[in-house]
Amino acid sequence: MKKNVKAIIQTILLVVTLLTVGLIQTNSAAAADTSLQRVKQRGELIMATSPDYPPYEFQVNKNGKSQIVGMDIDVAKKVAKDLHVKLVIKSMNFDSLLVAIQTGKADMAIGGINPTAERRQSVDFSKIYYSGGQSFLINSKDVNKYKSVKNLRGATIGAQTGTLQYGLAKKRIPNSTVKGMDKSTDLVLALKTNKIDALGIEKPSAEAYVKNDPTLKMIPSGYHLNKNDVGAAIAFKKGSTSLVNAVNKSIDQIKKQDLTSKYLASAGKYMKVNTVNTSMWHYWSYFAKGVEYTILISLISTLFGVIIGVVLALMRFTKQKWLRGLAISYTEFIRGTPLMVQVMFVYFGIGVVINIPALLSGIIAVSLNSGAYVAEIIRGGINSVEKGQTEAAESLGLTKSDMMRYVVLPQAFKNIWPALGNEFISLIKESSIVSIIGVTDLIYQLNIVRADTYRGVIPIFVAMVLYFVMTFLLTRLLNYYEGKMKHAG
Amino acid sequence: MQDKNILEVNHLSKKFGENEILKDINGTVKSGQVICVIGPSGAGKSTFLRCLNLLEKPTSGEVKFEGTDLTHVDGKQLLDLRERMGMVFQSFNLFPNMTVLRNLMLAPIRVKHMSEEDAKQTAMKLLKRVGLDGKADAYPSSLSGGQQQRVAIARALAMNPEVMLFDEPTSALDPEMVGEVLEVMQELANEGMTMVVVTHEMGFAKSVADEVWFMADGYILERSKPAEMFDNPQNDRAKDFIGKIIEAK
Ligand SMILES: Nc1ncnc2c1ncn2[C@@H]1O[C@H](COP(=O)(O)OP(=O)(O)OP(=O)(O)O)[C@@H](O)[C@H]1O
Ligand SMILES: [Mg+2]
Repeated sequence: MKKNVKAIIQTILLVVTLLTVGLIQTNSAAAADTSLQRVKQRGELIMATSPDYPPYEFQVNKNGKSQIVGMDIDVAKKVAKDLHVKLVIKSMNFDSLLVAIQTGKADMAIGGINPTAERRQSVDFSKIYYSGGQSFLINSKDVNKYKSVKNLRGATIGAQTGTLQYGLAKKRIPNSTVKGMDKSTDLVLALKTNKIDALGIEKPSAEAYVKNDPTLKMIPSGYHLNKNDVGAAIAFKKGSTSLVNAVNKSIDQIKKQDLTSKYLASAGKYMKVNTVNTSMWHYWSYFAKGVEYTILISLISTLFGVIIGVVLALMRFTKQKWLRGLAISYTEFIRGTPLMVQVMFVYFGIGVVINIPALLSGIIAVSLNSGAYVAEIIRGGINSVEKGQTEAAESLGLTKSDMMRYVVLPQAFKNIWPALGNEFISLIKESSIVSIIGVTDLIYQLNIVRADTYRGVIPIFVAMVLYFVMTFLLTRLLNYYEGKMKHAG
Repeated sequence: MQDKNILEVNHLSKKFGENEILKDINGTVKSGQVICVIGPSGAGKSTFLRCLNLLEKPTSGEVKFEGTDLTHVDGKQLLDLRERMGMVFQSFNLFPNMTVLRNLMLAPIRVKHMSEEDAKQTAMKLLKRVGLDGKADAYPSSLSGGQQQRVAIARALAMNPEVMLFDEPTSALDPEMVGEVLEVMQELANEGMTMVVVTHEMGFAKSVADEVWFMADGYILERSKPAEMFDNPQNDRAKDFIGKIIEAK
């Protein structure tokens, strides 16, 4: 069914989970089940979702305000209402949904998740609230070529990596080549640019695309499938039986009254709102918010990165062996692991102990990362200060710390100012990784716009231009100040 | 007062790795004395001077400053003793990130805990003395070499030291600027400052030094009155060396 996790990310998440679960023994399923009680006491039901998958969940721009809507959201609203609590939506990457419930970031995860046997090993599931069925998207011009699934024999078929559709296409379409990608928006784009002949996708999604794009057509898959493998269910942390039972009562009602049809219809209306105007101007506020967060994260992270960097660099210059060792190990460790893992570790891992919001987690992780790199820059800057300077300071009787503060560091900073500026600029680009935990930076917003407008390329182009404008203006600005500082002697 | 030992060096040796630069250095500097140290390049003159205020840690031997052996104190106490010895370097080493005035005020404020106003007053007085009060707000990079070195002397004097160490203070200067720096140093000597000066300026040595020490091979091979040293050296190495510097003039 929907997006799944690439093997690598899954491994990473597993390690993160194991680490944190290992750290916090109280996290084990053996603990008494207080899941329902906790939600009621809090008065809030916290739900994790990935709102870039219409008609299940997506963002709409209504009266200038952005809001998350879709069938899944209506299901969740109904559940919250039945429990007499408020619904709180936390958005994040699909890859992170299950980890979020395992680490207690959310009470439940919803997002067209199939309750497969594999997943049942790590989380609990509600009853299935919706069964969509499988289909293929093709280009309208190919309707005569691909009248039914049988004609797809030998074709190139796209599907989201690791999903059900991916496995089915491989197994059931003879001689086909299956191409995997992360996002359905990318896959649709691949279809439209003829990189693939057909796209294996869930029926409601396919219908949504067809409605919004006359160049696309849908054909049924004709697969006969196990119900558990195609239905969508809500995921919970293992051992949440009381909460699952309560939620199942709502699902029973949803099914009895066929509420999902109603929900889908209203989602369709929202999608119309979205696609009435797919010009990028219409979405300027989305991009503006993305730019704002990207700059915010980069700026704050650079500032803290410099503070951390100074501390680390000074640790390298102390006499204490263990302090030096600590600084070296930290730097090596941070530089030897990807920023993406660090971001996930802070959000999910440390989040088990203290609940840190996504934006703050992103800033912390990027700062910690940047600190290691800045430390090396500062160390180079300190080394570049002439030996005569420290000797003169020493001969005047200045303490080591005064010498650093008044003589060495100011000169070091002057030497490394351009390098620090570059670090800031590269953070603007690298911080895009925080979108995986749902921080609304430019990349995240870009994906929202792509999902909402069904336009694959233009939003990418807009984001690219925005990134370039940001880095270009900053480079100019830094050069200007650099020139000024040189002037100051 | 004239007889008080400010500095006393006993059996000082300094090795860099296996390389023994100073072998057995002995000597005393009395209050108000001006000692000039001469010797061939690489003889260890700078190393000797830097051992006097422990910028370089001696391998063995004693360096006594007003009776306290510096080689056996460290931390706070060393800083306390060091602030009473001024040092002037061949390459000036002014702090380029501050104005001339701030260069002079930094140590008095941070080390001596002088008030901002007092430090400024002292600094301006000293700048006037070296003829640079007009440059108080300039940055070092805008000054000529001679001016920078005069500021460096003033900076050292701002700590009100009891002895001044000079390591070839004029050898990085253009010839026309040597005079202005030597003049300042001469005035200092006249005022009774105790000074140890590594220099090859014979004129200066002759007119202000009480003694000239000739250093080579890790030892002080000869110490004499300046006139004697330059006109009639006893040691063969000294004879040879002085012959060469006179020839070069
Ligand atoms: N930190 C150090 N490590 C290793 N060797 C050093 C160090 N400092 C000085 N030396 C060596 O010690 C020797 C003496 O150096 P020093 O600078 O004291 O000589 P100098 O008499 O001042 O010479 P010059 O007239 O060229 O200034 C030189 O051979 C030098 O290479
Ligand atoms: Mg020297």
